[in-house]
Amino acid sequence: MAAAENHGPKNIVIWAYLVILALVSVFVSLIIPSPADTVVIFALAIAKAALVLMYFMHLRVENIFIHSLFFVPLALVVVMFFGFMPDINHWLY
Amino acid sequence: MSVESTASTDTMEAGVPAAKLGVWWFIASEIMVFGGVLASFILLRLTGPGWAGDIEHNSVLLGSINTLVLLTSSFSIVEVLAANKAGDLEKFKKYMGITIALGLLFMVIKGVEYSIHIHEGLLPDKSLFWAFYFGMTGLHGLHVLAGIVANISLLVVVSKPGGLARYGHRSEMCGLYWHFVDVVWIFLFPLLYLG
Amino acid sequence: MSGTAASMHDAHHEAPTSFVRKYVFSTDHKMIAKQYIFIALFWAFVGGLLAYMFRWQLAWPETPVWGFGWISEDADFMPTGRIGPEVYNALITMHGTIMVFFVAMPLLLASMGNFLIPLMVGARDMAFPRLNMLSVWVLATASLILLASFFVEGGAAAAGWTGYPPLSAKVDYTGVIWGIDLWLLALALEFASFLMGGINFLVTPFNMRTRGMSLFRMPLMIWMIVIASVLFLLSVGPLIAGAVFLLLDRNLGTSFFLPEGGGDPLLWQHLFWFFGHPEVYVIFLPALGVMLEVISTFSRKTIYGYRPIIYAVLTAGVLSFVVWAHHQFISGLDPRLATPFSITTILISVPFAFVVFSLLATLWKSSIRLDTPMWFAIGGLSIFVFGGVTGIFNGSATVDIFIHDTLFVVAHFHSTLFSAVFLGGFCAIYYWYPKMFGRVMDEFWGKVHFAGTYLGFLAVFVPMHLVGVGGMVRRVADHTKYDLFIPLQPWNEWMTVAAIVLFLFQFVFAVNFIRSLYWGREAGENPWGGTTLEWTTPSPPPHGNWPGAIPEVHNAPYEYGVPGIDGEWVSQDQPAP
Ligand SMILES: [Cu+2]
Repeated sequence: MAAAENHGPKNIVIWAYLVILALVSVFVSLIIPSPADTVVIFALAIAKAALVLMYFMHLRVENIFIHSLFFVPLALVVVMFFGFMPDINHWLY
Repeated sequence: MSVESTASTDTMEAGVPAAKLGVWWFIASEIMVFGGVLASFILLRLTGPGWAGDIEHNSVLLGSINTLVLLTSSFSIVEVLAANKAGDLEKFKKYMGITIALGLLFMVIKGVEYSIHIHEGLLPDKSLFWAFYFGMTGLHGLHVLAGIVANISLLVVVSKPGGLARYGHRSEMCGLYWHFVDVVWIFLFPLLYLG
Repeated sequence: MSGTAASMHDAHHEAPTSFVRKYVFSTDHKMIAKQYIFIALFWAFVGGLLAYMFRWQLAWPETPVWGFGWISEDADFMPTGRIGPEVYNALITMHGTIMVFFVAMPLLLASMGNFLIPLMVGARDMAFPRLNMLSVWVLATASLILLASFFVEGGAAAAGWTGYPPLSAKVDYTGVIWGIDLWLLALALEFASFLMGGINFLVTPFNMRTRGMSLFRMPLMIWMIVIASVLFLLSVGPLIAGAVFLLLDRNLGTSFFLPEGGGDPLLWQHLFWFFGHPEVYVIFLPALGVMLEVISTFSRKTIYGYRPIIYAVLTAGVLSFVVWAHHQFISGLDPRLATPFSITTILISVPFAFVVFSLLATLWKSSIRLDTPMWFAIGGLSIFVFGGVTGIFNGSATVDIFIHDTLFVVAHFHSTLFSAVFLGGFCAIYYWYPKMFGRVMDEFWGKVHFAGTYLGFLAVFVPMHLVGVGGMVRRVADHTKYDLFIPLQPWNEWMTVAAIVLFLFQFVFAVNFIRSLYWGREAGENPWGGTTLEWTTPSPPPHGNWPGAIPEVHNAPYEYGVPGIDGEWVSQDQPAP
């Protein structure tokens, strides 16, 4: 935690990155026609979320208990998504 | 784990303060709630006849402004945490005030959007997209509101004499929750405005 | 108390003196545990009463239920005491909801978790006592809402305890107006209550163990409660999302689950069962923990395979997230999913088989004492094994397609859940009652209660397997309307009579419970010769749990007959010689 404050990049720098990524994703959505832009926009969203989680929520420096409380639900959401997919996504067949 | 090596405290700890473990527990449950919502949205979106016509009605400008508002409030609440570390009450109050103001601004802009939609007759029963739109932003809005309430109550207790020393550490708990609400919006924005 | 207060973790928590702070808005984990027990026992009575009413309908359709004939002819609800199909649907829906969410979880997870965690790990109270109080009062609010739903216009929820849409999504389909909304609200509050309680169940064993109590010296009961809470935390979210969608469908005219508006009813089934299967273990694991504690104490032997049991249960916990679709084999599931989910379902029985064999190995060549708790533990385990075996039939998609939605499935899940909730729950109450109230429940009437419950259960549910395989379908209010089932109707009558006997035997328990509060034998600190920490303090424990310092732990739990130590058993706080 203290490590995050002292050795990590300054908070304002992370904020600048976040703003730039947000503006880029809006820009991408305006110039590239849908649905081709979807992949780029979601990659940018994941990057933004990762920045907030790693630097603002200090996930970078937490121990295994906190990591489990974040990554296990995340993995389960993925399991859930692909488990539901064959039923809800009728275009698959 | 050897017993004899334990320090002479009353309890054995897992290395995380109890309150923080509690907040992360809460966030874990929220990840599953929003995970269920987002998974349902994406799966039905991929199946359905395409909702591009509906999404057109959402103002990318207002959505982008709200995104920037929440991102900035995330930054300001990190500064609150820094202020608590430094024991700087004035900075604490200033940045917490900014965070609360930005949260309220988000809700106001959201309200403007809602009134525009309702004016145009775009209600939850209009189509599945609008059902999801109101369901998801409504659920998220309730979380923003809860965060604002938590932040205000922290600001109030910290402003009391000796409040910073006693309650200042709660800024981390409020911050974690507030960031999580921001992360949810980071995914809602592209899904509901750009997709 | 002054010595206690000085050594307490939170020195400002003095023992409360006013009636309200002590008995109503108490933050003491022991009082909260008792409040949970009373909520659960109240609902168990209501749930049992509902079962009596719909069993009556099944045995003697359209006749006035005995005891309800006084209802007037023009009442909205059950005129002249007769149950029609609509009321039948409401009864089975509420029976399921009450038993799973308002009996099983408060009794096993919340009450036992609250009472035992601080006492077993050596803490003065839970990590967040006020949050703990909040969770019991949120549950009480949920209880009131659920109770109110019986009396609103349109009656209580009647779409099955699984609430499948489209049936549950529109008022016209069931005729239930407010009932399902209140049902969803009550469930949402119940979930909130257990999510808040779960924070305590995780943080207290992690952060507040006494000196020497390493994670692998915690009694297995604590491990089971922690794992159950984590399973609940990780599984309930999608159902909360689904409940929000269903509320919107019902009240705002959306169509998340309605095909005509582009929604998908299967989505609800997935969201529900993604929660529903782990929920089975949320209920069962605390019961398993009770059985482990009791079997060790009453066989005077250490648990065989302490760590492997923990690893096995963790494995089962992980697997429980990838088996949910076995509830949906006949609901239009993608056929390609049937095989993977059959395989995972059959795999999940392996870790539990391991735990059962560990328990058998514990019993092997031990000095068994057959006190009431031990009867309930072994009886509960035997029926659970029975239910586990029939689960393998249901888990295999090919067999399940034949037996799904028959009474075989009903008999199967009652074998697993009744054994966990009631045999496990009674086991816990008989075993820890002396610690809670300072007196021991009567042994003779305890054994009578066990015999009636155990044999009564078998009399109801063994024939139910048979009629189920015979094709008798569930969720039908009157089987005599179908020629196919008329030869099986005598079995329906038999099951109802047996169920009434089973229900009546519970009054033995009720009387024994109340009587022993005042006239039971004084328990003393350790009536059963248990080795874990809760037996090292007076019964009932004072505010702060130990009158003096918290004991320091020197031993693993369940140490018996250790060479070089006097006495037959070794308490966890006994120093090495
Ligand atoms: Cu299951």
